[in-house]
Amino acid sequence: MDVMQPFYDICADPKAYARRWKARTGGKVVGTLCSYAPEELILAAGALGFRLVGGSGAISKADAHLQAYSCSLVRGALEDALSHRLDFLDGTIFPHTCDSIQRLSDIWRMNAHTGFHLDVVLPVKLNTASARDYMTAVMRKARSGLENMLEKAISDDDLRQAADTYNRIRATMKRLYAIRRERPGAIAGRDMHAIARAAMVMDRHDFLADLTRVVDQVADTETAARGDAKRIFLSGGVCNLPDVYGFIEAAGGAVVGDDLCTGSRQLMGAIDLKDDPIDAISRRYSERAVCPAKHTGVRTRGEELVRMAKEANAQGVIFLYLKFCDPHAFDYPYLKDTLAAEGIPTLLMELEEQTASDGQFQTRCEAFMEML
Amino acid sequence: MLTVGIDIGSISAKAAVIQDGQLVGSKVMLTGYNAKTAGEKVFADLLAELDLARDAPDRIVATGYGRNSVAFAHKAVTEITCHARGAHFQDPAIRSIIDIGGQDSKAITLNEAGGVRDFAMNDKCAAGTGRFLEVMARALEVDLDGFGALSLKAQNPAAISSLCTVFAESEVISLIAKGARRADIIAGIHESVAARVAAMANRVRVQAPVMMTGGVAHNIGVVKALEAKLGYPVQVSAYAQVNGAIGAACLAAA
Repeated sequence: MDVMQPFYDICADPKAYARRWKARTGGKVVGTLCSYAPEELILAAGALGFRLVGGSGAISKADAHLQAYSCSLVRGALEDALSHRLDFLDGTIFPHTCDSIQRLSDIWRMNAHTGFHLDVVLPVKLNTASARDYMTAVMRKARSGLENMLEKAISDDDLRQAADTYNRIRATMKRLYAIRRERPGAIAGRDMHAIARAAMVMDRHDFLADLTRVVDQVADTETAARGDAKRIFLSGGVCNLPDVYGFIEAAGGAVVGDDLCTGSRQLMGAIDLKDDPIDAISRRYSERAVCPAKHTGVRTRGEELVRMAKEANAQGVIFLYLKFCDPHAFDYPYLKDTLAAEGIPTLLMELEEQTASDGQFQTRCEAFMEML
Repeated sequence: MLTVGIDIGSISAKAAVIQDGQLVGSKVMLTGYNAKTAGEKVFADLLAELDLARDAPDRIVATGYGRNSVAFAHKAVTEITCHARGAHFQDPAIRSIIDIGGQDSKAITLNEAGGVRDFAMNDKCAAGTGRFLEVMARALEVDLDGFGALSLKAQNPAAISSLCTVFAESEVISLIAKGARRADIIAGIHESVAARVAAMANRVRVQAPVMMTGGVAHNIGVVKALEAKLGYPVQVSAYAQVNGAIGAACLAAA
């Protein structure tokens, strides 16, 4: 599929893309960790948000600072920073989510030399009135922090325009998710992964244009429905292994939805453009689906997962967790039981960025499809 | 109807023949370097033993890690599904299987029809596998076949705290140096394997009756330790090693 090429070019080497973008535009690049980093503010400042989802080589330098039982996301990102592979960054934003990212923030501040450092200390509980006020105050602080560090004033109009761009991106991604739900196989899993990966690093205006082209084409193309494929919903955190989709498809499955941090979680919700922009952006971060490091009620994540899996008409749920991701691991037994009570079978796959164990992953996928 | 199941494992290749719902024969041999040759040989040898022509089988299903290298099979099915089907064939009441092989261990729960309800696998780590026991047998200079019986004579099982095979081995060597009794050390080793495997079984909500398969099922010490950890009796399969091949042959007839 030709319209997919820009996304594959970026996925092949996201860092090279960021360097080219910088050379072309003279703009600044801001690294982010996790989907709670307020990307709208980065865009409003005219900078490029660059999501760090792990490393690009074997890990040796990072392990002088982090235990081997930290996840490959924080170890890989630190390795890249210490190996000067992130020298194009003008700064990095660390949202206050899991313990590993918080501690990484301190280690990074002391050891990595990637420009400015901004902690966005979000509330943990999101469903109270005081948390809403707190969230708004945090966003205001992040705005002035970014203004200082990027030496650029961010007006309300800039914020509204950035919010508008993100609204369009999210609405278009929603369209694509809906098509995939209706016609599994209309877009290949690896294409979906390439789009989601590019969404985190590409110039957001270019991304929206290229994404719209893909979605229009997918919508207009008659694809033979993979009617016999088992409908699979993916649940978990960061998935940066395109092979996963290939294994699921080869085993006879088709992904019909996800709640991944690198998937629908970054793409859900809309920002109310009529409101004060900071209030509206804060509200979206408070109301979107929560990650296991945040709290909106004891059973919210389980209920939400059941609702999404049912809406996608999923026959099974595959949990994709990064190995040693403790927030996800803490939630797993309860989520598995909640789905089991609804008659939805599950499979747990623990992944590490650098090492996908092909044969074993394939056997588990096949066994799961046979089970469904 | 005559069907054959072929299970190519990492260490041994197994075959089983089922005719009209009855098991008529089975065979086990080492897989060796070439999974493809092993599949052909175990199949040919078993048919020869049973005086059957090569074209006698109506259908053949292959399973195990080498399932895709058995070119003459009609279908490849994972070992998870085959183990469930094999245990169901042996005893339809079975609701859970614990399989400890040479290089991995699995816990599988079954529905009434012998289908898989849930499963978990450990294939990243030698702790809780047959390999762990082999390493310990070497350190203790005891023949692996005598391991199970010897451990039943333990008076005061040793505590092995490490979950890692390499570090557990150094613990065992320290225990030897301290003069701990062999039987007590072996009982401790079995408890360590059982604890590891029981944790995995509890994750898939293991239910009675439980059947144990795989080569380690022949070790009575591990079976007893598992029973204690799970709180259920554990039934040892009469066909512990060929259960997967039996399941494949059943699926070939379905």
